[in-house]
Amino acid sequence: MAWFLQNAWLIPLLPLLGFGIITLTPIQRNRNASAWLATLLMVGATVIAIGTAVEVAGRVVVGPDGTVSVAGTEAHGADAEAATEIKAGHGYEWREPNIVRTIRWAPAGGDEPFTMGYIVDPAVAAMLVMVTITATCIHLFSVGYMAHDPRQARFFSFISLFSAAMLAMVMASNLLLFFMAWEVMGLCSYLLIGFWYDKNYADPAQITPRQAAIKAFITTRIGDVLLLVGLAWLWTEAGTLELGAGPGQVFNPALLERLATTATGTGVSAATGIALLIFGGTVGKSAQFPLHVWLPDAMEGPTPVSALIHAATMVSAGVFLTARTFPIFEASEALPVVAAVGAFTALFAALIALGQFDIKRILAYSTLSQLGFMVAALGVGGWVAAMFHLLTHAFFKALLFLGSGSVIHGMEATVGHDSNTSQDIRNMGGLRRFMPVTFVTYMAGFLALAGFPGFAGFWSKDEILADSFRTNTLVWLVLSLASLLTAFYMTRQVMVVFFGTFRGHHPRKQPHTTHGDHHHEAHDPHESPWTMTVPLGILALFAVFAGFVNLPYDGYHHLAEFFAQEAGKFNVLVIWVSSAIAVLGIGLGWLAYRNAFASAEDADPLQRLLPGAFTALNRKFYFDEIYAATFGAAAGVLARASTWLDERVLDRVVLDSGSFTRFLGQVNFIIDDTVLNDGADLLATGAQSAGDGTRRSVTGKVQDYVALVFAGVVVLGVIYLYVVR
Amino acid sequence: MPSMTEAVPLSWVLLLAGALFCIGLFGALSRRNTVGILLGIELMLNAVNINLVAFWRYLEPNVVAGQTFALFVVTVAAAEAAVGLAMIIAIYRSRQTVNADEVDSLRG
Repeated sequence: MAWFLQNAWLIPLLPLLGFGIITLTPIQRNRNASAWLATLLMVGATVIAIGTAVEVAGRVVVGPDGTVSVAGTEAHGADAEAATEIKAGHGYEWREPNIVRTIRWAPAGGDEPFTMGYIVDPAVAAMLVMVTITATCIHLFSVGYMAHDPRQARFFSFISLFSAAMLAMVMASNLLLFFMAWEVMGLCSYLLIGFWYDKNYADPAQITPRQAAIKAFITTRIGDVLLLVGLAWLWTEAGTLELGAGPGQVFNPALLERLATTATGTGVSAATGIALLIFGGTVGKSAQFPLHVWLPDAMEGPTPVSALIHAATMVSAGVFLTARTFPIFEASEALPVVAAVGAFTALFAALIALGQFDIKRILAYSTLSQLGFMVAALGVGGWVAAMFHLLTHAFFKALLFLGSGSVIHGMEATVGHDSNTSQDIRNMGGLRRFMPVTFVTYMAGFLALAGFPGFAGFWSKDEILADSFRTNTLVWLVLSLASLLTAFYMTRQVMVVFFGTFRGHHPRKQPHTTHGDHHHEAHDPHESPWTMTVPLGILALFAVFAGFVNLPYDGYHHLAEFFAQEAGKFNVLVIWVSSAIAVLGIGLGWLAYRNAFASAEDADPLQRLLPGAFTALNRKFYFDEIYAATFGAAAGVLARASTWLDERVLDRVVLDSGSFTRFLGQVNFIIDDTVLNDGADLLATGAQSAGDGTRRSVTGKVQDYVALVFAGVVVLGVIYLYVVR
Repeated sequence: MPSMTEAVPLSWVLLLAGALFCIGLFGALSRRNTVGILLGIELMLNAVNINLVAFWRYLEPNVVAGQTFALFVVTVAAAEAAVGLAMIIAIYRSRQTVNADEVDSLRG
């Protein structure tokens, strides 16, 4: 009965296997084979993930010795009773995982070796289901979307690795393994954002996929370094990175207590410092302000990649990191910072989304904004609300991205393969007639994101708003304003894309392109093939119904029960206000944009109303420019200083020492050649000639010897007579 | 009649001995026949003997050391001649020659 739990390690392994097979075997030459292989393996992972979740929902617990038991539900009920007494806004308790499987990995200095392995608890199970289902849909969608790409096998191997890394990260039994998988995702995002690395634009100022990939990698790296420092600090303080509340694990109450009371030189407790550094990782990966700049440019990757990054992996990873280490945050004073960053990002990104024309970039800023909601929810202690929104958002954001991919795919039939033209919403319009399936599913995603009552996004967003209303009114106000803007910009997008008249036959002139051929003009946009519409349909079902797993009424908190956490409170005022906001936003959007664009060259109504402000929004509040002028310029100055140092100082030193050595070599050569070499030669030839000379005196004739002896006697006699005497 | 020592001064005897030595040396160095060389050596030894006897007779007639030395030299010369002749015969047997120039196996 616990087969799925005991074999949950297969979930990340299957996509990893797909990556390995496609990368290493000749199957990569067959584009369709590699695509379907990756998709089928992902389906397998999905099946296991769903089975695991079912077992987790059944409270199946596998002990360390392999014994399978079913935990009593009444224990959790008692916990829930007790939890209501906990201060509002601190709603997370670490629960014993359903299964922990580890292997000894490396000696760690202490008695216990460092272990690696996987954990499945309700939060993990929910994430696994979400990630595998969305990833499967994205894989299937990509089969159609990437059908004409020559590097299809490469694409599928990368997204398989990406999914595998995300799944491994979710299941990681300790924070080091978590971090490793996290970094693999960073690598995959780099590879996939830069997938069309040979693409160039006529406008040199427009960011290319290559640059976007580097930008994403470096920006998230800032957060990753902070996270790594935080983990190193946690290791030095705690001596462990293992997830869990037991002794020798990071959520041990005694340890958290000690961390919270350990003072540091900066005036905050160690827990706060560690929590803030870990949150730095979240800010980078989930693209929160001020490290948000990479996410919109990540749109340079293929659209399924955007869906993968925005829904199933990557940005969810950031939120999941904070959710996973939430006990540390609860022990610290970092939560207000988390709430502030989240709320600010939610509003800030929603504002920027108002001024964008690229269909994918609008969604990208919407993702930023929704991630801000989740982070803010965590900041106000709404753990369940944040996870709930993370799950529902993943489904409808994947749907919206895939829908936009379908739209772009259809548009390319009319305007050609120029992403500047095919992704500009001003060139669309009236697409509901050409792409009915895409339209209907997109509407489901739109209503979910806009928070229309009854749809998935409504329930999860409402839970966040209710939590923030209870704990921090300012956050609630900011988030409510952001939801109003969300409804507004999404209505704007849908009105401009799907309603009105089709403007694609006369697209906007690109300021930098010279070629004016519109040989596609004769074609109308077309609906996408079934491999693309089926995933849309599946995700649309989730967008409509996923909210019902956790209704804010007593007895319907299924997700909170699944997590065994305290459920959010029902709040009549908040639910009416957020309903009104959604309807108001949609209504305003409809009013402003129902007839906004008669031709593709028209100006946006907001632009006519507030030209200056609109330009600021369209330029994303100039953050790219500001960063380029500050950090970019600082990096440039540093680079130039390094060059100067390198060329003028280090090179000089190196060259001088080189020539000095050369000089020494010359001297050495002279000494060697003249003294040592010639001297030795001289000695040798001298000895030889001396030998030759003496050899001649040795004639072997007795009389010669006698004569010599006599001469010697004479000499001795002479010496005796004239010298000694 | 003056005594012999007064009639013949020592220097004459020494000159005779020196001359004899030189003749012997010349013979030893120049003769190619090994027997000739031996003869030369004998002459030199005898020149030395004359010296010894002359110094005894003229300078120290009361001590018998000079005569004794001369007798010793005669004895040694006889032994030397015997050995030398034996070697010459041995060389002749092995090399069929007594020519000193052809016996040069010590040559370097």
